[in-house]
Amino acid sequence: MAALAGARRRQRAAAPRTAFRVGRTTRWVVLVLTGLYFLVPIVASGRYAFEGNGGAFSLASLGLVARDTALWDGVVTSLEISAGTALITLLLLVPTSIWINLRLPSWRRTMENLTLLPLVVPAVVLVLGILTSFRNLPGLLLGTPVILALEYVVLALPYTYRAIDSGVRAIDLHTLVEASRSLGAGWVQCFRLVLLPNLRGSIFAAAFLSVGFCLGEFAIANLLTFNTFPTRLYEVGTEYATEAVTVSVLGLVVTWAVLLGISALGGRGPRRRGAAGLPLLSDPAASGEARAAAVADAGTGSS
Amino acid sequence: MDTTPSAGGRALPSSGLAPGRAARHPGRLLRHALGVGPFLCYLTLFLIVPSAAVVTSAFQSPSGGFTWANIRASLSGVYLQAYGGSLELSAIAALASAVLGTIIAVALASSDRPLLHRLVTTGCGVMANTGGLPLAFAFIASIGNFGIVTEMLSALGFNPYDHGFSLYSLAGLAIVYCYFLIPLMVLVMLPAVQALRQEWFEAAAMLGARRRQCWQLVGIPVLAPAFLAALMVLFTDAFAAYATADVLTQGSIGLVPIEIGSLIQGNVLAGQQNLGDALGFGMILVVVVVGVAYAVLQRRAARWQR
Repeated sequence: MAALAGARRRQRAAAPRTAFRVGRTTRWVVLVLTGLYFLVPIVASGRYAFEGNGGAFSLASLGLVARDTALWDGVVTSLEISAGTALITLLLLVPTSIWINLRLPSWRRTMENLTLLPLVVPAVVLVLGILTSFRNLPGLLLGTPVILALEYVVLALPYTYRAIDSGVRAIDLHTLVEASRSLGAGWVQCFRLVLLPNLRGSIFAAAFLSVGFCLGEFAIANLLTFNTFPTRLYEVGTEYATEAVTVSVLGLVVTWAVLLGISALGGRGPRRRGAAGLPLLSDPAASGEARAAAVADAGTGSS
Repeated sequence: MDTTPSAGGRALPSSGLAPGRAARHPGRLLRHALGVGPFLCYLTLFLIVPSAAVVTSAFQSPSGGFTWANIRASLSGVYLQAYGGSLELSAIAALASAVLGTIIAVALASSDRPLLHRLVTTGCGVMANTGGLPLAFAFIASIGNFGIVTEMLSALGFNPYDHGFSLYSLAGLAIVYCYFLIPLMVLVMLPAVQALRQEWFEAAAMLGARRRQCWQLVGIPVLAPAFLAALMVLFTDAFAAYATADVLTQGSIGLVPIEIGSLIQGNVLAGQQNLGDALGFGMILVVVVVGVAYAVLQRRAARWQR
């Protein structure tokens, strides 16, 4: 016990001192107020959704949700779009990132800036562009949700590229490729047996990021009039407020589970691998961190 | 010159020199650049082409000739008001979130509990991605007309809706936008705040700096780049947001994305297509101007750091 306490004290003493002197009370007031701001809407919608007559807990709104077939159609469409988006994202970005780091390291900066371009074009404006430029193409492209998957790949690019690229940079790419090539592996074998297993963490992170994006995107799907999970949720909301809140609570829970999954993957990876002496997985590629990384790059990139 | 990909594989002992060598052999550089081809084609087809179409169509009359009429129409009447509303909303939401996010980051950095850090950063990662409809519904359920918090407050004798507050106003929207902007700010500022060590201030003080000079010469130059970069992204995030605003305002407040949305949805007259594109061009322009202004500021910040 004493040793534990000692370790704990040492750990605390080792914490870096920042230039800011904040009193205990001030700190806790700030953090508690923040917590309230973020928790109240969640708790309120939970109560709103599951409150029956007289304030008792009720699952009546869930029954309504279960009978809404258009909603389930929307969920299926959204899941299909998610799968397509994740697949295209990985097929496009994993080889590109490996290639850049292996053959064109001088292009890294350029690539980072290119992947930030989607931030310049708001989703609503992209819809205008799609309608204008693909108007004359056969209905195959604009008439099916395929166009959504194709565009979501672009819109999630600032985050997905960072997730994959940080993974590729974290492995010793040159050594792994040299070693496997000199042992007689072809490029396909090298990719499949050596690189992919080493990039598992960041590949999962990128896939989850794009799925999370697809499950929440509303603007483009709505303006191109497709029935996805968010657009059906919007329609439900205009008719039955309680049901809509129930569905959105369920949607939030699913999305958070996905995002926490990414975070857990990122947090667990290095430790498990690190024990074997090979830091093969990337640093945490949690979604928020991927966004923060994109912001940081936007900061240094444009100057 | 080996044309198979294995050429690079054999040149591996000197692979660290690859960029320099590639630059000296234009043929190899070209071949290496081919590997990025699919990505560049994809980006061009699904981002550059649509964006370019918006920009050109903004200057076209329905018959295809060049005209300023769309731009002029997009800068008058209800559309001009929409620009005003959008800029005001994004500026308020971004500034408020930037300041609050920094305060939270400072409060967090001054704590040395690893569990608290982990909890807050994970929470921020999740919240920063919680936008759109669920967020709008959550706020309607809490501080909407008949929300739970509204009802609790009116039971206590203070109905915010009797005192000029409304969730469906510009201020209400700003409160909702902060929900996904603040966490992003915290995530960006936390590393910067943690990097600002007490020792640096002590060192400056030993060299004779007063508290104000410490901030002027050490504190602000360290924090400014992260703060400005985040402020820019928060602004563009808020400027582009569509779903939340659409649900909450139902068209009662003019915002540029909402106006574009109703132009797209409303199967409008022939000339209106170009009007929508003119508004879209305006949105891209605002984002680019903010980016350029930021780059100029950033260069000044870099001068402080030297």
